[in-house]
Formats: sequence, structure tokens, C-alpha cells
Amino acid sequence: MFEKVLIANRGEIALRIIRACKELGIRTLAVYSEADVDSLHVQIADESICIGAAPSSESYLKIDRIMSAAEVGDVDAIHPGYGFLAENAHFAEVCESCKIKFIGPSARAIQAMGDKNSARAFARKADVPVTPGSDGIVETEKDAVRIAKKIGYPVMIKAAAGGGGRGMRTAHNEPSLLAGFHSAGHEAEKAFGNGEVYIEKLIVNPHHIEFQIMADRHGHVVHLGERDCSIQRRNQKVIEECPSPLMNAGLRKKMGNAAVKLAKSVGYENAGTIEFLVDADRHFYFIEMNTRIQVEHTITEEVYGCDLVKEQIRIAAGQPLSPHIAHPTPRLHAIQCRINAEDPAKDFQPSPGRIAFYYAPGGRGVRIDSHAYTGYIVPPYYDSMIAKIITVGATRASAIDRMRRALDEYYITGIKTTVPFHAAIMRSAEFRDGKYDTGFVERVMASDNFELRHAAGRRLHE
Amino acid sequence: MELKDIKAIIDLMLKNDLSVFEMEKDGFRLKLQKGAGDQPIASPPAIVSPSPTTAVSNGPPAAVPPTTETTALKDIVSPMVGTFFRAGSPDASPFVDVGKAVTEETVVCIIEAMKVMNEIKAETSGVIAEVVAENGKPVQFGQALFRVR
Repeated sequence: MFEKVLIANRGEIALRIIRACKELGIRTLAVYSEADVDSLHVQIADESICIGAAPSSESYLKIDRIMSAAEVGDVDAIHPGYGFLAENAHFAEVCESCKIKFIGPSARAIQAMGDKNSARAFARKADVPVTPGSDGIVETEKDAVRIAKKIGYPVMIKAAAGGGGRGMRTAHNEPSLLAGFHSAGHEAEKAFGNGEVYIEKLIVNPHHIEFQIMADRHGHVVHLGERDCSIQRRNQKVIEECPSPLMNAGLRKKMGNAAVKLAKSVGYENAGTIEFLVDADRHFYFIEMNTRIQVEHTITEEVYGCDLVKEQIRIAAGQPLSPHIAHPTPRLHAIQCRINAEDPAKDFQPSPGRIAFYYAPGGRGVRIDSHAYTGYIVPPYYDSMIAKIITVGATRASAIDRMRRALDEYYITGIKTTVPFHAAIMRSAEFRDGKYDTGFVERVMASDNFELRHAAGRRLHE
Repeated sequence: MELKDIKAIIDLMLKNDLSVFEMEKDGFRLKLQKGAGDQPIASPPAIVSPSPTTAVSNGPPAAVPPTTETTALKDIVSPMVGTFFRAGSPDASPFVDVGKAVTEETVVCIIEAMKVMNEIKAETSGVIAEVVAENGKPVQFGQALFRVR
């Protein structure tokens, strides 16, 4: 087992990793930027080294400084968390060449699945369904019509050199396909100097369902069920739940097996997540693989009774999968709400600054993963998530009731947060019915009876 | 612009605790300033200015107490993470000592990182008043190495 680990991250995930290390008796070294000197994870780590100025590019993304800190601190391993360098194949390579264990998959596996085209190719080879599409560039109108007919409408015409949503058109029938084929090409030509387009099936308001993979260094690969992350706002996840209200045993088996097969085919090691889109007819399509621990790993932990971060460290140290992870048994239902320092009443405008008063809910079945505290100054340089609140219940309904109760006790003043937004969602009939998709947040916020709900108990923090 | 408009602006400034108001339109320019001296219109959000902490401590990081000297002292701080050396090699004499005059280009020390010896320049001019970092010990980004008068 490792003696000392460097945590190459910040915020709640750095705290999460330090906690796992401490439980395993491993010494911890936190690296931090000048903006994070008062961060909770820096205070709790056994040792800490400042690696740069506030902007991530000057600190958390500086591979040379992180490696210097690893050398100075004499660490055995580095945990990259999520974001930052977690899926940077070059960083994993540098760790390998410095004989410091990167807690995650190999640089090769990161490379293979990091490139979307490469990932899709591996998926096809492993007989995992991918979003149907043209096999390459669509040259003529005739080809476009033929391919669209084969895939089935609606389709999306996309510029091969495209980005930022430009050079994209949706088509629900042949006339709009022909119009879109030409206009997308022209827009692409003008914007990117390359008018080549390809065609993909458009999955309308899909469910985003992902499978958690764990693989040790002895060839054992398992999946720990799915998470439903369909509740998104501007393509950012806000609420996740485990299991998915859409899932049944048959579909779970099919998708789970596909996920394991794909992970095995790239020689995967450590934690990973395979993401799928599921349409209204329960057809699933592979979209991408995340070769790291994820923000929402927490709900899988609550449902399957495991500690995925500790398992990551054990696997990296060469141990086989723990028995309770090798044979996962789901019980309970879990929901996670991401609390961001944003003002939901002002289009989720960021709200950094000093937290005047912080009280997190507790009680049966409530878990808080957060680095926030009274007096903490939320810096403006990084992502706005300041806490994750996870509730567990015997049933989905009780997990929702518990989240509703807990959010009513969550007091954060001095900055604006998305607590009132989540409190309103927990009361929405559509959410409670479990009949939602990626279009849900927009719809529910536009509806008449959507109202932000603030925590009670004003006297506590006045 | 009439006097009543200017009075209205002054009112708004007082109500919202603004110190300076400036506008320009069609060749007409108006500047109203409350009190004496240059004050910012709005103070930037308070960002924590950390005092440099000691590197790789065995307990929680301890803050270096703020200097009680007058403002004449400037810090030469570390631009990287590594090990601080006062001389180019074990038998060589230190690059600088207390009392040595330095310019921006003067090499003041070596910081070794990943087996690479990096020459660190003063990037300020003056006279070395204090050697703060310890020879052969690790330093972190932003940590004070020398004080210069």
C-alpha cells in the first residue's frame, strides 16, 4: 500500500480523496493555488505545497510544478481527481516515467477513449451500439437522402470541421434534409473553410444513462450498475440518481455487459464510466467513456455500499477487486443534487464571495460532500460547485422526500446558491413521477408553478 | 445637461456610496469626485491574499508572520516548486549574501526541480537585506527567498 499520495486537485474532490487516504493510513500531500490557501482540503492534508497563482493554467494544470511537488514530497502515487489533468494522457505518462503511480487507467487507455472517434471505433469493434451515422463524409444530395433513410429521421447534419454548434442542422424529413445539407455545408465553408458534412441520428430528448466500471490489475472488470444523469441544464448535470427510473433488469443486463466488454477491450484499469444515450424506445447508444472517477460516484457508493475512491487506491496499489465490489449488490435508492455558487433567480449567474453562514443538513440518510464552511471565500477562478448533497432511501419516493426535507435545512448565506432551485425540482410532479429526459429542466423552469424555494429558519443566521 | 440633472447624479452617488462619476457625450465631459484623492468606483471582490506558508511542514501549514519592517523591503519569491540552493555547487560560494547589490538580471540562487538546476534571477534591484529560505530545503510557489532593500 502507498505511504504517501499527492492530490492533484482542489475543492470537494480533493477533500474526498484525502478522506479515503486517511482511512487507509496513507499520508496526504495537497497542492494548491494561491487562491486556495484557506481551502479546507489544504488545512486537513498532512502536508501542502503552493504550486502557483490562482488561474488553473498557472497552478492545477502545471504538470512540471506538480511533479516537482511530488518529488519534494517524496510521494508514491498521485490521485488526479476529476477535471484538470485527470484525463490527460501525457500527465499519466509523465507519472509513469517518474515511477510515481497514477491512480487511474494507463496513458494508453486514456488516449484510446479520450478521442471520440477512437472511442466509437473501439465500441463498434466490441459490438456496442453507437449513435447511427454515416461512415464518413457525405458527398452528394443522393448520398444524404439514402443515409438519412437508412438511419431514420430525425437526423442531424454536422460539419466535420465544426465546433461551437456551428455548421449543424436538424432534419425531420427529406425536404428539410436537402435544405439543411446545403446550408450546413455553406455555413461550415464560411466558418471553417471546410464544407464537409456527415450525418448522425438525432435522438430527441434522450435519457443520459451511464455505467460505473471498476477494473483491477488482475483482469477482473465489473460494472456497478447505472446512474441516470438526464437532469441537465445547458449540458451540465445538476441532479443524478441511482438506479435509473427508466431501467429494468433486462436492459441493465444488456447495457452492463456492453460496458464491461468495452472496458475489457481497451485493457482498462481502475475506475471508469461508460456513457450511453437511451431513446424513448429503450434503444441505447454508446457516446463516450470517462476514464476517471466522476462527480456522481457518490450515489453508486450509497446504493452498492462501497467506497469507490478507496477502491481506486487499492487497485492502483495492486490489490484485486474487493469482494463486495467484485459481487455488487444494489440496495436502496440514492439522489444527488449539485449545489453551485450561482443565482438561480438571475439565470444562474455565478455568485463567488464570502459564505457568511453555513449549516449543512444531517440526519438519517443524508450525505454532504463539501469543502464549504462559514467564512469560506468561494474563489471566482474555478467551477462553481461548492457542495454535493446525497440522500438515500429504501425507495425512490423516500429518497426524494428525504432530499426535500434536507434541502429545507440547508442554510448558506452571503452568496447565492442553487439550493432553492433543487428544492423546487424535488416538488415537481414530473420529477417525482420519474418521467423526465434531458429537456426536463428547461420545461419545468418555464412552467407556471415553478417557484424557487428558500430554506426556513431565518433567525439562525441573522 | 442641466443643474437638476447634476443634482440628481450627486444624489445617486451619495445614496449608492460612489466616490467618482465620469461621463462624456458629444464633446461634453463631466467628472464628479467625492472627498480627496483617487478612489476606485467599486472595490474589487475581496480575494484572499495569502501570506506565504512554510513548505512541506509536518503539521498544518503555518503562516509566515507579516514583516514588521517598514515598506522599504521587497521580497524575491520563488516562481516554482523545488529545492533551494544558495550556490551553483556544494563547494562554490553563494551567489549572493546580505549586503550584496543586485539588479534584475543578477542570479541569486538555484532552485532544483526534477533534476534540473534553474537559475533564479532577482527581477528587482537593491541590496540583499535578508536570506529567508534555507539552503537545501524545499520551497513552494510564492515563497519568500530573499528580502531586498
